[in-house]
Amino acid sequence: MHLLLVEDEADTARYIRNGLKESGYTVTWSGQAAEGRHLALNERWDLIILDRMLADGADGLSIVAAVREAGVKTPVLILSALATLDERVRGLRGGGDDYLTKPFAFSELMARIEALLRRSGLRDDARQLAVADLKLDLSTRRVERAGQPIALQPREFRLLEYLVRHQEQVVTRTMLLEAVWDYHFAPQTNVIDVQISRLRNKIDKGHTLSLLRTVRGAGYMISAHD
Amino acid sequence: MIRLSRSVAFRLALTSGLLVVGAIVVVSVVFYFGTVGIEARRIDRKIALIADRFSDSAKTNALAALAQRVDQALTDGIDSDTEIYYLADADGHRLTGNIAVTDADTRTLDKIVNRTVVRAGRPSFARLLMRRLPDGALLIIGRDMGDLNEVRNLAWRSIITGSLLAILLAIGGSLLFRRQIERRIFAIRHTAADIEAGNLSRRIPLSGDSDEFTRLAQDINRMLDRIEHLMDGVRHVSNTIAHNLRTPLGRIRGQLDEALRGLSTESGFAAVGGSAIRQIDDLIVVLEKLLQIAEAESGTRRQPFEPVSLKDVIVDVVELYDAAAESEGATLTWHADEEAIVLGDRDLLGSVLANLLDNALKYAGKPAHIEVTAESTADAVVLSVGDDGPGIPATERTRVLERFYRSHHGESGSGLGLSIVAAIAYLHGASLRLEDTAPGLCVRLSFARTESATFPNGNDSSMSTTGERI
Repeated sequence: MHLLLVEDEADTARYIRNGLKESGYTVTWSGQAAEGRHLALNERWDLIILDRMLADGADGLSIVAAVREAGVKTPVLILSALATLDERVRGLRGGGDDYLTKPFAFSELMARIEALLRRSGLRDDARQLAVADLKLDLSTRRVERAGQPIALQPREFRLLEYLVRHQEQVVTRTMLLEAVWDYHFAPQTNVIDVQISRLRNKIDKGHTLSLLRTVRGAGYMISAHD
Repeated sequence: MIRLSRSVAFRLALTSGLLVVGAIVVVSVVFYFGTVGIEARRIDRKIALIADRFSDSAKTNALAALAQRVDQALTDGIDSDTEIYYLADADGHRLTGNIAVTDADTRTLDKIVNRTVVRAGRPSFARLLMRRLPDGALLIIGRDMGDLNEVRNLAWRSIITGSLLAILLAIGGSLLFRRQIERRIFAIRHTAADIEAGNLSRRIPLSGDSDEFTRLAQDINRMLDRIEHLMDGVRHVSNTIAHNLRTPLGRIRGQLDEALRGLSTESGFAAVGGSAIRQIDDLIVVLEKLLQIAEAESGTRRQPFEPVSLKDVIVDVVELYDAAAESEGATLTWHADEEAIVLGDRDLLGSVLANLLDNALKYAGKPAHIEVTAESTADAVVLSVGDDGPGIPATERTRVLERFYRSHHGESGSGLGLSIVAAIAYLHGASLRLEDTAPGLCVRLSFARTESATFPNGNDSSMSTTGERI
């Protein structure tokens, strides 16, 4: 996997590059808007990570616009200290696939990068999803584990569906809140944790293999492997 | 004088003074022509009448008879102090009369003219009509104008003196008026200068009477009160923000410092690092919330508001919180009218409800019953979250809306939840009320009623739905 990182702040760039390299990605870093735009347009990338406020006064959004105008469909993750809802909406409407505000936890960035890379390769028209002996039928919205039907509320079904679509990946609480509830605020109470533990009760109780795991300091992951 | 011409008060007073002078002049002139002028014309008519009568009688009678009539007129005692008669024959010999004529200017024959004549041994000003009779005799009829002239002079003198006095009064009044206004304005300017110099608590001293200046001063004082209150608010907010960031930063710094000075083992070091990251994450959340408050309070949003169904928001957020409520042993019920639609931002409204549910779950105690409702009434859409917990004491109800104010000091929390609710309510033009429902607290947000029919095309979402239909 080959990633392009356009970020003018050297420390942040080093932090991201080191983390991504550790996870097995190759990263090309550019600290300038013009060079970044050139690289984004003229080479093939699996994912582009863009800072918004670049040193030469350029807005990373102009690079996204140029990339989309050129018909390049590479997923773009926008990183920015511009944290307001309006800026986020601008970023996503401007062609970004995801928007992460600084400062961020590396686990959050990693989870989002993996989700984006997976999304671009995944077929959305699947009717059935499965992980180990857990099966989801998307058309009838039925769930069963080891042949036993499990009753889920509609929202729980969407939560499970999102986790299964991203199986073997860490998904963060924020990602779940954004994807399943479509909200962009941080609730004080650990609402997502409680939702997950209720879901875990329904799908894992009585089974030796726990599918839904908590990844400490990052989020959750559904996995068939122990 | 330059300073005077720059004074509005002086210019206004002077202008009105001059207008008064003008009015006096007009009145005097009208008065003058209505009295002296009419009298003069009456005299002229009388002179002409007498002259006509005499010349008529001269046609039929001899000159001697005419002289006799003149003598008679002079001695009859009527108008004898003002009338003037003179008759001379064709050769210029004086026959009778009460004036001495030195030269009879024949160019002014048959016209009433002003002339100085010698009457009773002294010169006097008179109106005269000279007429040549058919036989060549000269008849002069006139009137001594001495008395009328005196009246005329008196009238002019009065007009001029009166006008001069009026002008003097106008100027004097202007100066006095200006000084009065200057004194009142000086008080305001003095206060303004004091405030500019940093003394925000200064107010304009009020005089006893309730004139325009007092009312203006009251208005300005009220405005200053409001500004001072806002400034205090800003100062207070900055102080609390600084305090609330400084405290955890100090804690983190202390822990890291201790770890670096070798007081921790290697595993302890990792624990300190982890704890520092957690606390920094909490700080980031606080900053995000402050930003959200600032954004909402600024009242400006680039994204246009759209019709949002409160029912949808309630369903979403209640489904987000139901598991949490369950684990806290609380029951969470809701009811929403289909017509409870407000013009707003779905994310922010969701955040309002989430914050209120956070609070209710945290502070209502166990086992709490929490009820969320959205009601659509004739003039408002009301979103309310009620619980049956201990509520908030009346004395704290306004304070809990302040940033970082925490009613329950023992509990965790940023103290920003209700501030966010208040800011978002403000952005939506909704009124926020905390009510004591004994037992419990009910937080009510009243949104102005928006007819769903009134915004079919005013926003992006409905634009796109009509777009699809085409």
